[in-house]
Amino acid sequence: MKKKACLLAFLAMTALLLAGKVLVVQVLHAQLLAKPDFLSSNLATIQKGACLEIIETKGSWFLVKNADGLKGYVHGSALAGRGTSLSGIAPGKKGASEEELALAAKGFNEGNERKLRGSREYDFTAVDWVMAQAVANPDVGDFVREGKLK
Amino acid sequence: MKKLLQLSCEVPRKGGIRAIDGKFKIYFKKLTNFRICYMALMLLLCLCQFLAAIKIPITLGQLNKAKKGVELVAGTTHTINEEEEYYIGRAVAANILSQYPLWKNQTLCRYLNLIGKALVLKSERPEIFAGYHFAVMDSREANAFSAPGGIILISRGIIDMAENEDEIAAILAHEIRHIVNKDPLKAIQSQRMKALGTFAAGEALGSSNEVLNIFKNSVLDITGTLLQKGYSRGQEKDADLQAMDLLAAAGYNPAALLTILEKCRGIEKKKAKAFSAHPAAAKRVAYVGEALGKAPAIDMSVRNARFSKSVSR
Repeated sequence: MKKKACLLAFLAMTALLLAGKVLVVQVLHAQLLAKPDFLSSNLATIQKGACLEIIETKGSWFLVKNADGLKGYVHGSALAGRGTSLSGIAPGKKGASEEELALAAKGFNEGNERKLRGSREYDFTAVDWVMAQAVANPDVGDFVREGKLK
Repeated sequence: MKKLLQLSCEVPRKGGIRAIDGKFKIYFKKLTNFRICYMALMLLLCLCQFLAAIKIPITLGQLNKAKKGVELVAGTTHTINEEEEYYIGRAVAANILSQYPLWKNQTLCRYLNLIGKALVLKSERPEIFAGYHFAVMDSREANAFSAPGGIILISRGIIDMAENEDEIAAILAHEIRHIVNKDPLKAIQSQRMKALGTFAAGEALGSSNEVLNIFKNSVLDITGTLLQKGYSRGQEKDADLQAMDLLAAAGYNPAALLTILEKCRGIEKKKAKAFSAHPAAAKRVAYVGEALGKAPAIDMSVRNARFSKSVSR
């Protein structure tokens, strides 16, 4: 009985290691897409810091499974290796150790920007206006098709 | 001293340690076929675990391949992550926009963002921390800047000069390539990253003012390069040649880069300012013309119509 339990534990550990290649979302919002193509349908939007299990790779694309078990494609530029980047860890969120947060706080962040706001040399109001000018991927898809682009 | 342990593969059938005549003996179990199979299975599983473990770097290697050209600043001790790049980029853009005000024409801005996004999706770095954003500066100088983190600003002078959508796409493609290559971040002096790395590693306690100064000076390193010093000739040439590939990948005419640069050369002959921090247009025209292949046959009718509709001069 004891032997069987040990064997099962060993097998489970092996399966986890084989299947558990995990990458972390390093951008604010990554798209989980039906196909390895940005103009394919968006299955879900994944937030920064989410861990994704890698199923397979297709060029620059990763077929992944999210925490809800939903499978789809994410582009490699949205992902970072576990522990290779702090950008996926938001202060106060589960998963960030005190050491990691201290490190992140030493970098270039919102806190530093706040100290520059109000200075005549920096027009952050204009930057906020620029950031608000976003276009959605379906609109880009229509634009591409209409203009006979690729 | 007497030998305490003796190894034996003989009887008794059940393995274990036995004390016989004041001596300890270790007995191994008899190797039956079942036990051999069991041990082989365990060895196989160990091998699987080892392979799984060494496969993780392969996956990360593939990830890095996907991010080709997106390496962090070389030779520094503090590596800039996506989020930090975004905040540096915001400050760089804020600094530029304090000198060149925005032209808040939403129709034109939306048109630029659609062209830019169509290009970005074909690049090696389509996903960036808060996405790519494109806007127009209200300046009659012909100029374009790419801030780290995906903010691209082009001047009204470029819009005035462009005759079609493909020429605007050519300017945006060049700036996108600078961001993909992380050229703006490479303008930061390595000493700043070393100092920040030292603080982060806890070797020295950096006060918040010291870190803020590093942040401010890093921003000024970049704006100094974008507005005055310019990138190296190699970085500019790479951005031009890669922009042509990006244009072709997105379905735009790569020859549009040549035609817009020829217009810049025309401006420069009149001794007016065009791309102040870029190499002379004449030099760029030479190598772009050389690299240009056979022009593809492109139906431009819809693009020309939407260009006229969106661009008011």
